[in-house]
Amino acid sequence: MKRFLISCLLACAALLQPWSKASAEDQHITIAAAADLHDAMDKLIASYRRNHPGATLEVVYGASGMLLNQIEQGAPFELFFSADSSYPQQLVAHGKAGGTPVPYAMGHLVMWSASIDMSQVKVADLSQQRFGRIAIANPQHAPYGKRAEQALHAAGVWDAVQARLVYGENIAQTAQFAQSGNATVGLIAESLAKASPVKGSYALVPATMHEPLKQSFVLTQRGAGNALAKDFASYVQSPPARAILAGYGFSLPGAGH
Amino acid sequence: MTEATPGLAVKLSLRRGALALDVDMALPARGITALFGPSGAGKTACLRTIAGFERDSVGSVTFGHAIWQDTARRIFVPTHRRRLGHVFQEASLFAHLSVAGNLDYGYRRAGRPEHLDREGLIERFGLRPLLERRVGALSGGERQRVSMVRALLSDPALLLFDEPLSALDAAARTDLLGCLESLHGTLETPMIYVSHNIDEVARLADHIVLLEAGHVVAQGDLQSTLTRVDLPPALGEALGAVIEGEAVGLDAHDQLVELAFPGGRLWLPHRQETLGQKVRCRVAARDVVLLRQPEAATSALNQIRCRIVAMADADHASQCLVRLDAGGSALLARITRRSWHHLSLSPGDEVWAQVKAVALGA
Amino acid sequence: MFSAQDLQALWLTLRLASVVTLLLLLLGCPLAWWLTHTSSRWRRPVAALVALPLVLPPTVLGFYLLMLWGPEGAVGRLIAAAGLSALPFTFRGLVVASMLYSLPFVVQPLHNAFEAVGERPLELASSLGAGPWDRFFTVALPLAWPGVITAAVLGFAHTVGEFGVVLMIGGNIPGQTRVLSMRIYDHVQAGEYHQANVLSLCLLVVSFAALLAMTLLRPRRYARD
Repeated sequence: MKRFLISCLLACAALLQPWSKASAEDQHITIAAAADLHDAMDKLIASYRRNHPGATLEVVYGASGMLLNQIEQGAPFELFFSADSSYPQQLVAHGKAGGTPVPYAMGHLVMWSASIDMSQVKVADLSQQRFGRIAIANPQHAPYGKRAEQALHAAGVWDAVQARLVYGENIAQTAQFAQSGNATVGLIAESLAKASPVKGSYALVPATMHEPLKQSFVLTQRGAGNALAKDFASYVQSPPARAILAGYGFSLPGAGH
Repeated sequence: MTEATPGLAVKLSLRRGALALDVDMALPARGITALFGPSGAGKTACLRTIAGFERDSVGSVTFGHAIWQDTARRIFVPTHRRRLGHVFQEASLFAHLSVAGNLDYGYRRAGRPEHLDREGLIERFGLRPLLERRVGALSGGERQRVSMVRALLSDPALLLFDEPLSALDAAARTDLLGCLESLHGTLETPMIYVSHNIDEVARLADHIVLLEAGHVVAQGDLQSTLTRVDLPPALGEALGAVIEGEAVGLDAHDQLVELAFPGGRLWLPHRQETLGQKVRCRVAARDVVLLRQPEAATSALNQIRCRIVAMADADHASQCLVRLDAGGSALLARITRRSWHHLSLSPGDEVWAQVKAVALGA
Repeated sequence: MFSAQDLQALWLTLRLASVVTLLLLLLGCPLAWWLTHTSSRWRRPVAALVALPLVLPPTVLGFYLLMLWGPEGAVGRLIAAAGLSALPFTFRGLVVASMLYSLPFVVQPLHNAFEAVGERPLELASSLGAGPWDRFFTVALPLAWPGVITAAVLGFAHTVGEFGVVLMIGGNIPGQTRVLSMRIYDHVQAGEYHQANVLSLCLLVVSFAALLAMTLLRPRRYARD
C-alpha cells in the first residue's frame, strides 16, 4: 500500500514538470495581440522569421481588455498589441509597462454579411428587419464593440436594433457569429473581413461615426529587457510590415509616428 | 361445489443459468400443495414462472378456466392481472410505507373486498400493535407475518409462498407455523408452498410435488407420495408417513397427547394441542423399528400393528424400505437388509411398527 | 451594490437552472428507467452517449451546437423549414444546450437510484395488483426519491455554473442569455474586479441556499429490508 501511494505521488510530480525545454529567453517571446489581428499578426511573424530563423514568437489572441487584465496580473507576455490606445495607456498608468505606447495601425469598422449584399448598405439601414440579428463585440470591454455602439448611436438606430443585438466576447467571436450565419450581419474589424474564410460582402462604417481605432502596442515590463521583443517592435514599424498591415485594410500612422 | 373446479395446470420449461426447468404438474383447486425438493431443484424458479416473473419461459399455465400463459398461442397475462398473493423468503416489505400502508397496498387495489376480514386477519396474526410502525423496526418474524397478511388481503385466487419460514429463527418459525396451520383450516384459496424442510411440509401440505434437478419426480397427495418406495435417493430423507388424526387424550402429568388415527393410537409430546384438535404427525421412516411380537419392556411408547405391503431397496446398500399398512394408513420403515432377512420378513406378514414418542415430537 | 443588470442576470440564471432541472427530471426518469430495465442491445451505447457530455469540453459542445443550429446546419435548416425561430442566442436555445450539457448529471443518479430499488419490490407490487405505471409511481419513485433529489441538486448546480456552452452559443444578450457567469466574466474582462467579486459571492450564496433547500427534501436512507 505504501509503495503504491509513493508511486502515485511520483507520477503526479512527473506530470507536473514542464515538458518542453525552456529555450534561451532572448530567442523566445510571447505576444498578446488583439483579436482583430488574427491573420495579420501571423503574417507579420512569418515574415519576421524568414530573416530571423532562430527566433520563436508565439501569439495569444484575445479581447484587448482581457489581455490587459492578464498582463497586469503577471501574464508572461513581452509585447501587447491592443486594438486601441487606451488599454496600453492604462498599462503605463498602472506602472506595468516597459515603454511608451506606439501606434502601429488604424483599424476600420465594417458591416459584414454572408447572406446579404452589403455594398450599398448604410448603418442607418440596419434598423430594417431584413438584417435580422446583428452581432457586435461587447462594448463593455472590446474596442471595436465600443465603436460599433457609437456608430449605431450616431446613426440614430440604437434603440431600434437593441433587441436584435448579439454580443461576442471579442471581435473574433463576433466575426464568427456572422460567418456562421447565426447573425445576419456583424459589425467587425476590416482586417477580419478581409481574412474571412467564408465568402461575404461588407461596407465600411464611416470613420466619422465613431472614435478612431488608433491601435497601439507597448512593451511590457517583462519585454523591456528582451532584445527579440524590441527588435520585433521596430520591425512592425518598418515598411515591409506596414505593407502587410495595409493589405489587411489597416490605415497606417505617419512614418515615424 | 358438485363438480370439482379445475386447479392449476402447469406445463413449463425455462432455462436459468445452470438450471433447466421442465415441469408438468396438475394441482388441486383447494388446499396447500407443497413444492418440495433439495436445493437447486428449481422450486423457486418454478414458483416464479407460475407467478409470471419469467417472461422467457415456454409452455402453458392455466388456473381454473383462466389461461395465464400459452406460448403456442402467444398468450401471456402479466403478473398484475393474475390474482396472486406472493410471499418471498425475505419479507421484502415496502420500505417507504408503514406496516398499515403495506397491508393496504394490495387490499386497496383489490377494491377493499368485503369478504376479506381485514381486522380478523390482523388480530389473528398479531399485527395490531405493529400497524403504525415503520418497516425497518420490525423483527424477521414480524416482517414475515406482515408479508403474509399483505398477500392475503390482496384477495388472491392463488397463494404462492416461497420458503417463508426458512430465514427465521426457531422461535419465530414455530410461531408462524402455528399461524399457518390455523389458517390452513379456514383457507378457501389454494396455496403452493415451497420448502426444503420436510417437517413444515408434513404439517401443512395436503398435496405434494417432488422436484429434482428441474423435473417433477412425483406428485400426488401427501400421504401416499411420501410413503412411496420408488423415489430417487436424493429425497430419501423425506420419506415417511404423515399421520393425521384427532387428539383424544391429554396426560397433564406426563405432558403427552394421544393421537387417534385409523391404524391405532400414538403418543406424542404435548405442545399446544387441545382435546379434539386435528393433529398431524410425521413418522420418519428411519425412526420405525419392526417387531415380530409387541414388547412390553421397551421405552418406546408406540407400537402399531400393521401388515407388510412391499419392500424395495433404499439408497444405501445396507438398507431397505418397507411399506406397511396400518388399518388403511400407510407407514414406511427403513431397516437394514440384514434385519429383513434375519426376521424372515416378507410381504403379507403381520408385524408391529415401533416408534419412540420423542421421535414424533418434530 | 447590485445594478439592475446584475439582478437581471441573477434572475435569468435561476430561471435557466430551474427550467433545465425540471425538464431534465421529466425526460431523465423514463430514460433512466429504460436503461435500468431494458435488455435491448442498445443499452450500452445509449448509456455511453448519455455520459458523453461528461468528457466533452463545454466549449466544444457549444461550438458544435452553434454550427448545427446555424442556418447552414442540419438542425438549423429543419427548424427554419418548420417555420420556427432559430435556437442560437435565445433562452430556449440555452435551455436545450444546458439540457445536453447537464444530462449525465441528472440521468446517472436516477439510473443508480432505480438500480438500487431492484426487481423485488416491483415484482411484489405487481403480484399485489399494481400495473406498470402504478408500480412506477407508488413503489419505484418513492424508493428512488433520494436519488431523484440528488439528480435535481446536481442538475441545478451544474447549470448555474455553466459557462463554456453559454459563451459559445449565448451571444450574451441581456434578459435572454446574459447569465451570471457571463456577467462575472465581463466584469473581469473590463477590470471591474469589485463587481466581479460581489457577483461571485452572490452566486455562491444563492446556489448554496438552493442546494441546501433541496437537500432538506431528501430523506435519510430508508432502512434496508
